Amino acid sequence: MFWGKSRNIVVGLEVGSTKVAAAVGEIRPDGTLALLGIGEAPSGQVRKCEIVDFEVAQGCVRDALAEAEQKTDIVVGEIYLAISGAHIRSSNTRVTTVINNEGDEIAAEHMQELHEMAASQPLPADHAIVHHLLQHYVLDDGSTTDNPAGLASKRLTAHFHQVYGLATRLQTTIRCVKELGIDVKNYALSSYATAQAVLTRSQKQLGAIVINLGGGVSDYVVYQKGNVVHTGVLGVGGDHLTNDIVSGLKIPYAKAEQLKKTEGSVILDPSEDGERITLPGSYNFEERQIPRPSLHTIMQMRQAEIFEIILDDLQQAPFWPEFAGTVYLTGGASQVKGLIELATQVFPCPAELAHQSPFDGDQNYGRRPDLSTVLGLLQYARQAELEIPAPRGFARVGQSLRRALANMRLI
Amino acid sequence: MIELIQNGPFAEKADPLFPGRVRIAGLGQTGIAVCDQIVLHGRPLQDVWILDSDQQTIEGSIVPAANRHLLGRNLVRGLGCGGDLELAREIVAVEEDRLSAIADGCDFLILLLGFGGSIGVALAEHLIQLGRKTEAKIIVVGAQPFAFEGWARREKAVAAIAGLRRDADSVLVLAHDRLAEHPAAVKNIRHGFYLMHQLMAQVAQALAQIVCKRGLIQLSFADVRSLYARYVGAEALENCWAAHVEGDTHDGAEYLVQRLLGSPVLKDGSVWKLADHAIVAVSGARDLGLSDVQELVGALKDNLPVNIPIATSASLDDDDHEKVRMTVLLAATAPAPAASVEFCVPGPRPAKKPKPAAETTRLTVMKDAPKSPEPSIPKAMTATKKIAPPPPTPGALKKAKPPQAPPPKPVEVSSPRNVEETPVEAWGETASVMSAGKAPPRKHIAKQEEMQFETAPRGRFEKTHETMYRGENLDQPTFRRRGVTIKL
Repeated sequence: MFWGKSRNIVVGLEVGSTKVAAAVGEIRPDGTLALLGIGEAPSGQVRKCEIVDFEVAQGCVRDALAEAEQKTDIVVGEIYLAISGAHIRSSNTRVTTVINNEGDEIAAEHMQELHEMAASQPLPADHAIVHHLLQHYVLDDGSTTDNPAGLASKRLTAHFHQVYGLATRLQTTIRCVKELGIDVKNYALSSYATAQAVLTRSQKQLGAIVINLGGGVSDYVVYQKGNVVHTGVLGVGGDHLTNDIVSGLKIPYAKAEQLKKTEGSVILDPSEDGERITLPGSYNFEERQIPRPSLHTIMQMRQAEIFEIILDDLQQAPFWPEFAGTVYLTGGASQVKGLIELATQVFPCPAELAHQSPFDGDQNYGRRPDLSTVLGLLQYARQAELEIPAPRGFARVGQSLRRALANMRLI
Repeated sequence: MIELIQNGPFAEKADPLFPGRVRIAGLGQTGIAVCDQIVLHGRPLQDVWILDSDQQTIEGSIVPAANRHLLGRNLVRGLGCGGDLELAREIVAVEEDRLSAIADGCDFLILLLGFGGSIGVALAEHLIQLGRKTEAKIIVVGAQPFAFEGWARREKAVAAIAGLRRDADSVLVLAHDRLAEHPAAVKNIRHGFYLMHQLMAQVAQALAQIVCKRGLIQLSFADVRSLYARYVGAEALENCWAAHVEGDTHDGAEYLVQRLLGSPVLKDGSVWKLADHAIVAVSGARDLGLSDVQELVGALKDNLPVNIPIATSASLDDDDHEKVRMTVLLAATAPAPAASVEFCVPGPRPAKKPKPAAETTRLTVMKDAPKSPEPSIPKAMTATKKIAPPPPTPGALKKAKPPQAPPPKPVEVSSPRNVEETPVEAWGETASVMSAGKAPPRKHIAKQEEMQFETAPRGRFEKTHETMYRGENLDQPTFRRRGVTIKL
């Protein structure tokens, strides 16, 4: 039958400040994920992960999706979207329900009720929920568990980590995709998605801070005992380093970006005092000599400040006194020289570059930290898809028809 | 018909400002940073005002714009006083009308400032005088500078504390150096300042609760004054140690108290040798009961390393369900604990270079004379009169550890002209500066190099929302905000 061979395709889309990336993956019948390909397009008019010019940004999204479709021969009908921006906030909350079953036995509907209560928690005005991530359940005797089904307790409390953001800005990003005729199946916080790509279960259990150093923002997520305990987004990223170089060395933005990538470092080396870097001339730019220590000072000050602000935020959080994990750095801006040394100086815990978990399929992208978010989105999508029960009967027919029509661009 | 009016502490909308009206004024850069913390944590118990002569500081604050006052615009053009106390006093004199409005209409005025600054101290002095006229009670909460900030700031702080203690109803002096060992402060000293600002904000909140907010257990202003109005002059500099904890009612008293005692200031065991009284301010949601408060205070008493009397205030908040907050204010009331005075003393004073003989001014300097808290130097002296060291007064400051030197001898630098003397005051020495003829009118030169009345361009981020962090616009290059010059 024509729906018998339908493939479970998932697509992750990230509208970043530097580029738009769309990753196409396939969830195989055994539950594993295979990467089919990634389409990329340089970002235009997206600053700090927020769209400044809607039409230009939409054009970039269209280009990235077109490239992904071309590379994978898949027609994209729905996507999982990465959400970020300095407007994102988070908090830890808990909700409690009374168990009034016979024998006080906790059932699935009690847990469902707690999830619904968490989803309807009051938020600041104009904000919308992005995630409510379960941390653990607490029984009436104070013991904690991840799955209380079948246990007996008079009260059941669930601890959640809530992530929310300004509704209008979330809508803008979603609308940017939806107006292209592509459905947004779900969305995930960028840093949370990134963590799915770079952290193993044991790393989450031991404690991990994943800092995704992007172009426009630096977002981070903290895992402790396997749960998300803290998230944050700082509206400063690699673009700020470039902007500082432009301002400090009085050179054009493109030159500054190139200089940052080829000669940049965030560690000051006294042996380099007096060294100069030659910036080759071009038709509208005269060749110039730049003092290397000046470049490194500009970059070091900005990157150290980013780390210090993040550390400051982490130190205010209740998890911090007990945290004994590792800082993992990823994202496009993590490729700068000396980053780990600087992070080790700032953070009072080990710091290392994050490595993406191995995946099947196209292996050309495994070593690119700037794609860790979009690859993590695929992992997030895989988990979400596996949790949804497979459609049966007429529902399955309907799904197959929808896919067939989508492939023909009829819907 | 009998109408039941719920106006007790359990009323749905209890008036939080009974019986008095508290106003908090952040003076100078430190005071503003503390007020920012109060606003940031959003506990609208009091009205908060900030005053400064530095436009950048005022603009960087998150206090509502209507409550910000930039002072002395005509004198310093928003550039600040640059630590010049005389200039700050001139600004205060010019702004008399605006300051009267601050002191008017409140029963309690809590002044927040850094004692090492100039505008903060000058404003505090003036607001105390205004408060006396309006019969407002004045509580000063301030922080001594870090030891590494040097002798100049320390001297100013000592003089400021002595002056404010003379006039204010209560003066709470916290020491920055208590936080110097905190890991965050060791790594980055800005964290040290930030921690102190947080702590001062919590102290101000606790004081506001104690003096005005009705609750389960009531203390009053008299309790605060009895602990923090004991010292005069600078006989003991630091007299307040504070800690704050905020948690959940389900966390348990023991856990909260352990967190409280683990706070940066109380961690240092030396505090317990100095403190002899404590005030505990507990506040929580409407489900906070007397038994909870008793449990908290009981756990605190059990865990304190010393046995000191504890006065407790407990009140209910309208917001934050299941939250409980506890602030402990420790006080020293015993006569002049020397350790308190000697705490956070900067390193050895740098030797002053003698002025060349060709100077047009004439100096008569008495080296190593002991300092009186309120030195009185004659307004006018003849050029030939040598200043004798004033006799040490009882309880005079012991801090400086003056070296055992022979009796001070006057150092004279002669000048060919007839001169008038203007007394100046300096730490560890008494000096008089004589200037030729009639002193020319003083010209104030702003010491701050640069002032941005308009926002600087943000380059690539011009169209975006500004990323602000503690008053700093992070879209501006870091090196520029830090004042680092980049060589080209």
